[in-house]
Amino acid sequence: MADRQKTREDTELFTRMVASKQGWVLNPDTEFYSTLVEGLMRNFNRYGYFLCPCRDTEGSREADREAICPCVWSKLDVPEYGHCYCALYFSKEFASTGKQPAAIPDRRFS
Amino acid sequence: MNLEGLPVVTKEGTRRDHDIMIFALSTCGFCKRALSFLDANGFAYRYLYVDLIPLETKNAIKQELRERFHESVAFPFAVIDNEHHLVGFIEADWKLTLGV
Repeated sequence: MADRQKTREDTELFTRMVASKQGWVLNPDTEFYSTLVEGLMRNFNRYGYFLCPCRDTEGSREADREAICPCVWSKLDVPEYGHCYCALYFSKEFASTGKQPAAIPDRRFS
Repeated sequence: MNLEGLPVVTKEGTRRDHDIMIFALSTCGFCKRALSFLDANGFAYRYLYVDLIPLETKNAIKQELRERFHESVAFPFAVIDNEHHLVGFIEADWKLTLGV
């Protein structure tokens, strides 16, 4: 468990900060975005770090280090696929197409 | 695969032409979308949130899925008729496999 629990607002602020720093856009689908914020918040509060909501824990922070949001692979996935693995962050170009995100390969295992 | 005693949820549906078992994460948007797709198309299915079960149990399940399907385990992971599998939610693939 995390020492200090995060709220939804804390987690939304975190995602906005990441998106602005990386020059990305948050998933415009409010329901999808809400699910992911909820997932990130719950992962922080149970594991102590923002584990990607679409990746399973391997049991420790060290083992999950690369999958902590923003995951290391997002820097490759966003330019290549237009969004990150869990579809929390979009490239500006992809967001402007209005397309739906789809499952992409998980670089964690490749 | 022995899922006895685990919090497997059974969802009723009018379409029972496939045996559908979904391994998912309770935190994942694509997993939620996959389950909604099955609901919207009237499928009966079962699902298990693997992030809500003990680590050792989950790792044993993931190991069996890897060995059976020769695939790294990502989510959602669908086992169809105990024979086919789908990894990740790509609606067109799920439609094709499930005959929608």
